[in-house]
Formats: sequence, C-alpha cells, structure tokens
Amino acid sequence: MELTGLTLTEVLTVLGGFAAAVVVLYLLKLRRRQIQVPFVHLWQQVLAERQTTRLFSVLKRLLSLLVALAVVAALAFAMGDPRYAGAVDEGQTTVVLVDASASMQATDVEPSRLEEARARVEELVAGLGGNDRMLVAQMDASTVPLSPLSGQTRLLREGLEELEPTDVAADLSRGLRFAADVLRGQPDPRVVIVSDGVLESGGEAEARAREAGLTVRWMPIGEGGRNVAITAFSVRRYPLDKSRSQVLVELWNPTDEDEAVELSLLGDGQPIELQRLRVAAGERLRRFFQNVSGADRTLEARITLADGSRDDQPADDRAYARLPERRRARVQAVTDGNLYLSAALLLDEYLDVVEVPPSAYPAEGRFDVTIFDSWVPPTPPDTHAIYLHPVPPEGARAPFEVTGEIERPFFDDIEHEHPIVQFTALRDVNVATSLEVELRDDDRVIAGDRGAPLIVAGTRNDHRMVALLFDVRRSDLPLRVAWPLLLLNSIDWFVQEDAGYLSSYETGETWHVPAPADVTTATLVTPGGEERTVPVVDGRAVCTGLRAGFYTLRTEGAEGAPEEDVFAANLGPSREAVIDPVETLEVAGRAAEPPSIGRAGVRTEIWMVLVLAVLGVVLVEWFTYHRRITV
Amino acid sequence: MFGWLRKGGTEGRPPRASGGGDDLFDEEFQRKLDVLALVSRRLVAGRTRAERRSKKTGAGIEFADHRQYAPGDDFRYLDWNLYARTGRLLLRLYEEEEDLSVYVLLDVSRSMAFGEPRSKLDYAKRLAAALSYIALANLDRVSIVTFADEVVGRLPPTRGSKNRIFKAFEFLRPLEAEGRTGTTDAMKTFVAQNKRRGVAILISDLYDPTGFEGGINTLRYHKFEPYVIQVFDPVEVRPPLHGDVRLVDNETGEMREVTITPRVLERYAEAHAAYRARIEDFCTSKQVPYYALETSTPFDEAILDILRRGGMVA
Repeated sequence: MELTGLTLTEVLTVLGGFAAAVVVLYLLKLRRRQIQVPFVHLWQQVLAERQTTRLFSVLKRLLSLLVALAVVAALAFAMGDPRYAGAVDEGQTTVVLVDASASMQATDVEPSRLEEARARVEELVAGLGGNDRMLVAQMDASTVPLSPLSGQTRLLREGLEELEPTDVAADLSRGLRFAADVLRGQPDPRVVIVSDGVLESGGEAEARAREAGLTVRWMPIGEGGRNVAITAFSVRRYPLDKSRSQVLVELWNPTDEDEAVELSLLGDGQPIELQRLRVAAGERLRRFFQNVSGADRTLEARITLADGSRDDQPADDRAYARLPERRRARVQAVTDGNLYLSAALLLDEYLDVVEVPPSAYPAEGRFDVTIFDSWVPPTPPDTHAIYLHPVPPEGARAPFEVTGEIERPFFDDIEHEHPIVQFTALRDVNVATSLEVELRDDDRVIAGDRGAPLIVAGTRNDHRMVALLFDVRRSDLPLRVAWPLLLLNSIDWFVQEDAGYLSSYETGETWHVPAPADVTTATLVTPGGEERTVPVVDGRAVCTGLRAGFYTLRTEGAEGAPEEDVFAANLGPSREAVIDPVETLEVAGRAAEPPSIGRAGVRTEIWMVLVLAVLGVVLVEWFTYHRRITV
Repeated sequence: MFGWLRKGGTEGRPPRASGGGDDLFDEEFQRKLDVLALVSRRLVAGRTRAERRSKKTGAGIEFADHRQYAPGDDFRYLDWNLYARTGRLLLRLYEEEEDLSVYVLLDVSRSMAFGEPRSKLDYAKRLAAALSYIALANLDRVSIVTFADEVVGRLPPTRGSKNRIFKAFEFLRPLEAEGRTGTTDAMKTFVAQNKRRGVAILISDLYDPTGFEGGINTLRYHKFEPYVIQVFDPVEVRPPLHGDVRLVDNETGEMREVTITPRVLERYAEAHAAYRARIEDFCTSKQVPYYALETSTPFDEAILDILRRGGMVA
C-alpha cells in the first residue's frame, strides 16, 4: 500500500488532531435535556434496574466513540489517496489524437464522424483504470491538447467538449511528434488515433514513435458514402472589363458511382448562375464561367446532388472567392494629342482621364497618375508617372539622362513576372528607335534590347514611375493588345490593383493578406465570428485559419478610421474529399490495431471505498437514531 | 453523533400551569351537572332527604342498643321491661338522625399541574364541582377543602339549593397548583378542623413522597368515610421521552439522570401500574372505595361510573 495523496506524516497529523478533538468531546460530560416530571420516585425502580444496564450504556457510548474515531481515521486515510503498491506502477499513459480534419465532418455515420469519434473517446475515458492517465488532443493541421494529462475523467470529458471540426487535412506527423513529446518517460505509453484514416503521412515521425516504444492504436471511424467535391474555385476580373469576371470551378467525384449535381454561383450572396452537371466516377470536371457579372465583392460556389439531397461530406460542397477591389483612378495625360493613348485609356471605365497640353500642365485637381507623352516637366510630378519617350527639353530635370539613340531595338529580355507586363506579348513588337539613357541604381529594366532598356520601372520624387523609352507612334505597339494592357497594368500597379490577385487562400496554410503598411497589428474575424489579433509585417497580415469561408481583416486606417477587407479561404487538399475510410492504418510499416477499451473495468481507488464506508456509517447512525435504537 | 441537531421538540416543555379558565364551568358543564343530578336520583331511588342515619346514638326514634345505666342518665330511657325480666338496669339507645356532611378534599399540589390538553387539576376541579352539585341536589352539607402539604383553602359547609353550586365554582376557579404533596399532615389538619364526621372524597394524584397511606388512614381513624379518586394523565403513564435526559421532580426539585429507551419506558409504565395497584390493594383491604381516573375520560362518564359502582354520594 502506498499513499499518493498526503504523506503518511500528514495523514497521521490530521488523524491525531481530529481524534484528539473527538476524545475530548467524548470525555466532556454529556449535557442532558432537563425534563420535569410529576413524581420522580416512580422512576426509582426503573433507575434501580438501570444500574444493571449501566455497563451496556457505557459500552454503547464507547462504541459510539470508536465509530467516530473510525470515521475520522477513514477520512484521514482517504486524504492520503492510498493505492495498492503493485498497482501504482501499472497505469497506462495514453495520448488520444482525435482527427478533426475536413473528412471527419462526413455524415455517413449519425450525426457525424466527429461526433462518433467524440462518443468513442468517451468510452475510452470511461474505461480508464484507477492508475491510468490520458490526454485528449485535436489533430488537424496542427495538434492541440484539449485536456491535461490526467486520470480525472471530468477533466478529460470537459476537454473533449472543446473538440471542433476544421476544414484542413490532419497532419499525422505533427500528431505523432506531439504524442512522443508528451509520453516521453511515462509508464506504458500509448497513442490512440481516432480517425477515418484519411491522414497526411506521418513520415519520419512514425518511425520515431515506434523507436520511442509507443504503442500506436487506431480506432477507425466512418463507413463511406456519396460525395462530390469542389476542389478548385478561382475568379479574376477581366483586365479590360473589370465589371466582369472569369470563374474556374473544378469538381471531383472520388466515389465509384457517377453523380449528377447542381452547381450554383452566388455573387454577393445572390444566385447568378446555375448549372446541372454530371460527374463520372473518379472524374475531375473543370468548368469555366465566362463574363460572369453581378458579383462585385464575393463569389460563392455550391453544389448539391441533382435529386436535391446532400452528399455525405458537406465540408467540400462550398467554395468561396473574393473579387479584387475595383478602384477609380484619376489620370492626367499631358499630351499634344495622341489618339493611341486616348483610345487605350478609354478602355477602362474606372479611369477618370484629364488631357492637358504641356503648356497647360499641371491641370487643376489631384491625380493618381500623370502620363507624359513625349514631354518632360521641369520637375518630377507629385504623382505616379508614365513617361512615353521622355526627351527632356532644355533645362528640364529629365527622369533619365539621355545619352543617345538606338536604332531598331528588340524586346529580347522581358521580366514576365512584373505586374506591368502580365498578359502582354511584346517579344515581336517593332520599334524604330529608342533613347539610350543612364539608369539610376534603383531603376529596374522590365523589357529591353540586350544592354538597352525599352521599358523601365523605378521611383522618382517618392512616387512610382514607368518609362517607355521609345515613341509608340514610331512602333507597332499601339496596334497590339499589349499596348492598352501595358498602360492599364502600369496604372493598376500604381494604385495597388494586383493583377496576380489571389481570390482565395487555402485553409491550414499561412496567409499573407495585404494590409496597410503603416500598421503592425490587425484584427482577423473568422467565418464563425471569432476575433483574434494578428501581426502585420511589411504590409501583409500574417495569419491562418482552419475553417473555409469569408474572413474579415480589420485594421486602423488613416486618422484612426477603421478599415475592413474581406478575403476568402477554401478547403485545401482535395484528398479530404475521399470519405471512404481506409482498411488499415499503417504506422511505420505496421498496421495499427484497435485499442482495448476498459481493461481496468472500473476505477478502484481505495479512497472511494473509505468514503463510501464513512457514508454508510453515517447512514446507519442516522437510521438507528431515527428508529430510536441507539437513543 | 448529531445530537446538537436534535434539540428542540416538545419533550422539554414544562407542563401547562393550571388556570381557572372561564370555560372550566361553562354552560355545557352545568347542563351536564343537571343530567348527573337526575341520574343520581334514579340510581339511589327510595331514599329521602336526610335519611342517612349517623353512627351516633341519641335522640332518634329508631332503637339502636342497650347500655348499662350510669348515674345521671335520663330515667325516661330506662328499659323497665328488661329490668323486670333480668333485674338489670339498662338504658335504651336510639340512633340519632342528622344531615350528611360531604367533604371534597382536593389536592392542589404542583404535580396536579401536569396534563395535556387539560391539567389534572382542571379535571379534578370539574370532578369536585360535579360531586358537590350532586350532593347539594341531595340536600347534603357540602364542603370543599384544598390541600397540598397542608390545608390550603376551605369552602365552608353549605347546604340547601343547587344554586349554592356557584359558590363552589367561585371557590374552585382561581385555584392554582402550588406546593408539595403531604397528604398525611394535611389530613391531620383537616380532621382537627372538622369535628362533624361525614364522607371525605379525596381527589388527588396521590404522588406523595411520604406515602399515600397516612392520609387515608387519618380519615379512617377519625370516623370519616373516605373515598379515594386518583386522577392521572395518560402522558404520565407513557411519557414521550427518549435519549439522555435529566428528570426533575417539579415538587421537590429532585433530579435523576436517565437514558430513556423503549425498554426503560416499558419499565416505567410497569412501575406506574404497580403504584396504582398498590393504592387499590390498600384501599380494598381497608374497605375504602377507590377510583382511578385518566384525565382523558370525560368527567361526566367518570361520575356516572362512580355512581353506578358504589353510590359515593346521595
């Protein structure tokens, strides 16, 4: 027998103190109730007989004392939490990894796989032996403990209540590493994976777990069912007509049966498109929706089975996208007249263009962008600028120092990744002549002949600048689609419209969401309404999320005014669409066996027996008192 | 173990003190007295007023006995016929007819204060009033004497109309239970104060530490006709007690500590019954009528029972 609660000394101290108090109370003369009687002599005979029963009375009081001392001793001993010596070292230490990935939201078992997992873990908790300890953890993209490592079933059940589904894949390697860390040095270490088996490989962690002596068990969940998933959903605005969008949807039927589904698109929450599609067994079906209008901020795709029912995996039946922000830019075009330039600027309805001759420069008002057509102002403008063939007049501070002219240059080197040349084809553009200039150190050649720049991006007067070092009228560029694209891409680059905009992020990944550059923190509001503060680094909020849907990034803008930006996150890996549970879960090359539930049966702590005994004694005493047996 | 939780309850409550409530002799009570008076006449039918012959010999007309002539005796009562036959001078003796005196001796000691809902004293007062009424109805001379360890009060002998009963009510109503029981001394005082012999109805619980026999014997020795009515409350026989208690005699203040158990209560009931049996045996052996009445018995039923069994009055 060993004491795992109070030490023997403490138990004896408690016992001694209370036993002494009981004995002192016993030695005190019993205070009797005073009763008036009419003729006490009648009691004489009774009292004479009482002498013969006095011994019994004394024994009864003594017995009462002994019972009280026994109660005190039992309670004091219970505080020591005694356990059988052999049983102290025999407890199991178990880490239960509950798969909370997207596939666990499948409803092939009622009410869902996750609830089934919760119920199964409850059984494990109920079957804990008196010396066993357990930790329950949620395994998704990361592994988060839900309870402490404890033998107290209440704590474990409370932790289990916090289990929540996520829209990410479960990372087994992280789970196993977590379990190995927790179980290091613990007696009889075990890992129980409660999952449908759709897990990212444990990799090296599996082997480490085996080497650490962990016994890995698997409790399979799920039966399999029907599912069609949205595995890709992307949207972008047309560069030249930003009121319309192009949408890509990919559906995947991972089951063995063909399925007919209804795909609907919702723009800003309103239905804008509905199609009925047939997805063959195992087929990945891609659909492009051209010229989609009616969506200004958000777009959502939903699928249902054609018969109106839902499939068994609701997590992948929805996808979300955020359309890029459309901003109205004010453009000042300083030109003596250039039809090519005017025509290109007319293509974007979101541009407010003001044309002024060089003599009237600068025009009144504030502008985002100034385009200089074959003319350079005396001083750089206080706006972003596009220089077309920037030949400086006398006395002007040219953006470049012109050193000469190059005959028939070609677009040999093009930096295709730069936003201003995205979606353009410049390689075979013919140019008569271009300027030979001295570039500054921070200037960047976007396109050019070998050694001779043709398109340059840089900074002047703390504003962005793009320069075309040739006269477009002496080239065939205006006759190409690349010409307006080049202009509009440049303007978008200036006003922070990103042609490479991401319409959605992937759950479980680290996101870098554009945010104002002058803030250090932002508030992220999840689809469930939960708010948390995230850091902002170099104008990007660094965050992540486990649920698909629309997130809101709240920041403090200029003069303290709050600014909100909405972005979308979608279920990441398409493997989560496979809801047929695996036959076996192999860990380090060996199939994990199911766990044994309730090895110890019931909890057999001795203190419980002692307290029950005390309660029994109190009950008997109370009964005998009320039945006038002992009084 | 949890005795401190069990304090309270009614066991320790002192008994209700006897009070002369106005409802003690209410109209209902008086109606019952009228009925009892009628019934008592029927039960003792054939007798007329003042017919009870006394033990005294004297100037009556009924021959009683002879005795030797002594100088100074009235010659008129010499039995000359007997002298002629026997040659002895013998005097004729006649029974003297006189009114019957009824003494109601009421115990008002503190022990009479016990009883629920009415105390023994209240019950005894009603008995005393009823017996007095019946006696008055039979034209007897009635006196009520209260006592504890001495004579406490006395309603002077009265006879005549039944209306005299209201004097008895007025006498009885304010009586309180006070003092210790001392029957012997009280009866000695009583017999010394009352030379006129008669019926002495002793109403008491007879809880006399010095013994109940002395008082009864005193009455007997002084030519009274004692009747003993013992009143007791049912609670006295079966007290609702339990646990460790200290018993205090409410007359003497004497204390006894006892642990009450069902067995102890049983023993006490036996002791109480034995005490009553001892009183009854004593009275029987001395030819003294004895009645034991529980206060739960309606007083009118108790009176009728007494009348049927022996005709205590009339």
